[in-house]
Amino acid sequence: MTDPKTLLIVDDSRVSRMMIRSLVMAKRPHWTVIEASNGAEALQVVGQQQPDFCTMDINMPGLLGTDAAEQIAREHPSVRLALFSANIQESQKARASQIGVKFVAKPVSEKSVLEAVHFFEGAAS
Amino acid sequence: MNLSELQLDALTEVFNVGAGQAAANLSEIVGDEVRLSVPRIQFYDRTEINPGTLALADQRVGSVRQLFSGPFNLDASLLFKEERALEIVQEMIGSQVRVEDLVDFEQEAMCELGNIILNGCMSTIADVLQIELTSTLPEYTVAASDVVVGGLVSDMTQPVIMVLHIDLTIEKRQTHGYLVFLLSSGSLAELVVALDRFLGRI
Repeated sequence: MTDPKTLLIVDDSRVSRMMIRSLVMAKRPHWTVIEASNGAEALQVVGQQQPDFCTMDINMPGLLGTDAAEQIAREHPSVRLALFSANIQESQKARASQIGVKFVAKPVSEKSVLEAVHFFEGAAS
Repeated sequence: MNLSELQLDALTEVFNVGAGQAAANLSEIVGDEVRLSVPRIQFYDRTEINPGTLALADQRVGSVRQLFSGPFNLDASLLFKEERALEIVQEMIGSQVRVEDLVDFEQEAMCELGNIILNGCMSTIADVLQIELTSTLPEYTVAASDVVVGGLVSDMTQPVIMVLHIDLTIEKRQTHGYLVFLLSSGSLAELVVALDRFLGRI
């Protein structure tokens, strides 16, 4: 799998973005990784740079990640989205399913990042 | 102690992950969605902490408190308004106990609730930081907010206190809980060491 792809990481925590970026680059060094620190910025970046994949935190200041993900899924259906959150309640998983996106539980780890990567590449759902 | 922007970000994110686990545990117990606020960490001098700082002024408060020890020591408390605490107890065991008898079970039920939530939170943090933490048994207190908060900050050996403001809102009942963590300056320094190791692994 050496297709060049672009991943957008959306998280208000710089540390989380660093961790996801580092783990993804270790597994998929040919991918381009871009970042946004909130939901509104994510909507802007998706419109401008049209990433292939997006990891989205839920609890962020301003627009909630679930709402941003829903808007991206509606307006840019080609973007594969994974909600990547510490808020691991069933209600959040149900919301992800309703929007049609993958739910991945934090903490950010090799296991959780690979779960998202495999989903993006269509190897798992 | 001054933390860099990156250290503060890491600290907030680590506790955010812990609070996410706590909210999931609480949600399972009460059978309802728990909304989490965006976490915010603030440092205070011990003398600056009062019920107003914790948005608990003029209320009776139920507090479940546990002390965690390991590379650093941390005093963790789960705070609820008193009447809401009883509602949660009712949710936990209500079908098995008459409403008028609920108060007899409050102590035990709130200790169990606090244990599940605080240990869920701190175990997750320990795993993320790759450290081991042990805890005391939970203690439950109900009192006026100034008494509860006064008790939290009575330890003169904790001059610098870290408060993590996270609201846990039980969706349908409009019940708010707060997680508060207190650390001495020495323990904060040890926590920062653990955080730096964590950052070094990224």
